[in-house]
Amino acid sequence: MEPILSIHGLSVRFGALLAVNDVSFDALAGKITAVIGPNGAGKSSLFNLISGAVTPTRGRVMFENKDVTGTSPDHMLKVGLSRSFQITNLFFELTVQENLRLAAQFLEQGHGLFRPLAASTRANARVDELIVQFGLQDKASELAGYLSHGEQRRLEIAVSLAARPRMLLLDEPTQGMSHADTKETEIMIRGLASEHGLSILLVEHDVDLVMNISDHVVVMHQGKKLAEGTPAQVRSNASVQAAYFGEHG
Amino acid sequence: MHDQAKPSAQAPSASRYFTWLFFLGALVFALGAGLVGDVFFLRLATEALIFGGLALSVDLLLGRVGLLPLGQALFFGLGAYVSALVLKEWHNSFWLSVTVSLVASALAGLVGGIVAIRAKGVYFALISFGLAQVVSKVVFNTRDLGASDGIIGVPGAAIFPGLTSADPIGFFLVTLATIFGLYCGLTYLMETPFGRQLSAIRTNEHRIPFLGFDPWRYKLLAFVVAACIAGLSGALYPMLRGFVSPELMFFQVSGNAVINVIVGGTGTLIGSLYGSTLLTGLKSVVGSFTAHHQIVIGLLFVVVVIVFPRGLIGYLSPLLQRRLSFRHATGRGGQ
Repeated sequence: MEPILSIHGLSVRFGALLAVNDVSFDALAGKITAVIGPNGAGKSSLFNLISGAVTPTRGRVMFENKDVTGTSPDHMLKVGLSRSFQITNLFFELTVQENLRLAAQFLEQGHGLFRPLAASTRANARVDELIVQFGLQDKASELAGYLSHGEQRRLEIAVSLAARPRMLLLDEPTQGMSHADTKETEIMIRGLASEHGLSILLVEHDVDLVMNISDHVVVMHQGKKLAEGTPAQVRSNASVQAAYFGEHG
Repeated sequence: MHDQAKPSAQAPSASRYFTWLFFLGALVFALGAGLVGDVFFLRLATEALIFGGLALSVDLLLGRVGLLPLGQALFFGLGAYVSALVLKEWHNSFWLSVTVSLVASALAGLVGGIVAIRAKGVYFALISFGLAQVVSKVVFNTRDLGASDGIIGVPGAAIFPGLTSADPIGFFLVTLATIFGLYCGLTYLMETPFGRQLSAIRTNEHRIPFLGFDPWRYKLLAFVVAACIAGLSGALYPMLRGFVSPELMFFQVSGNAVINVIVGGTGTLIGSLYGSTLLTGLKSVVGSFTAHHQIVIGLLFVVVVIVFPRGLIGYLSPLLQRRLSFRHATGRGGQ
């Protein structure tokens, strides 16, 4: 199977700190690839490099065989790659519906920018679809800031999906969620890959969740790639156990 | 279904009531002034509307995009000077002077926007202030533009056959129609995807690039639109007063426009016009008793910011909206 995303020798230096050090791996189309590692392993920095938020010092990011290294975030979505944030990053003063509409406006590809909102038919249809898909029917008119943490995290993913990307980068999607919400999110992420054919790159602290839903796992430690493989291969890897699982007992 | 602004989806909008109250009230005022043959208050009200246009442009940037322009008088003054030059040196056509002022403001807005928009917060405010200071000082020291005296003896503008800007009631109505057009245009723009993106930029600019949009372009376009509104409003000034001076670009004019917006209600648009009317009227009334009217305006501003931080319309609009929603819900109104 063709990789949708290929990372080649990616590095970034912040002053004296080499936050990501020569990391390479592939993420396959339609599969869930997870990046795990202890705090400070460089996972979020890696995400920022891939999504265009930070320009790498060295290395390349290939998406669908195109070099997208250093592409700005707004162009990254045009290429087909979207991301969510570890700290919920919504428009808290706007309604759920408006959050989704803003994101879905991308589907209009710059048309209808100065026409009434109702004229953006593709965007509006996408909003209605996402509200149902994410079970937000009762919350559509509520301000995003008034939602529960779990609902905000769900909305965060829905906003990231509004532009119909081909790959989604999920940065700790279950952070701070209750056990029940985490379970629900796990099912939802699995559904996005299996039913909608979405390719997912996931950074997550919850190792059980990663092992349950991922097809491929990359382990990072101190900015470097420590290991990669299927969840079973990673779980049985001695250096991973020492560096990561050992720390968590 | 896709309207998020109203507390109750179907209830009439409170801001619409305030809009009609303002413009119908202005028409009634014009009718009354015409009947009694008043000129002074018609001229004063026209000035309030002109500065209301400047305040509208400030509200677009401050209330909708979250940028505090401390030098918006630059574009107002530019529009006024260009209009005065066209009327005095070229042709006394209202339409020609307004069109040339608009083009000049748009170009100046584009250049100023490219310089100022990359900065945020206080830095944007200071850059916009600095730009206005530079241009006003250049104008102040340019003999060909009348230097500190400005341009005097600007002839009245011919608007329609038989109507010039020297006609107090006719020019008041033309100014009212212009400001009404600007207000309606802005209100429409705010309910388009472009306008909603501006609100999103104000709320969380950091997220916008990850939705596939470059916030810089939206902010630049908003800046140019605001420059055009300020320039168009400024173009009307020499038609009313018959002169322009460098003071029109000074910080006091920019500062007053910000005060008009804050007193009227930031982000409400119509509040800018209420604020401008209120403060222009107050300045005239207090000014007839003391030359230190700025002290009274300053105190009023402090009181409003402390007691009604959302301004006049920002305070009254939710109260009226609750009442309208209640009436609508209980079936006693709205149909």
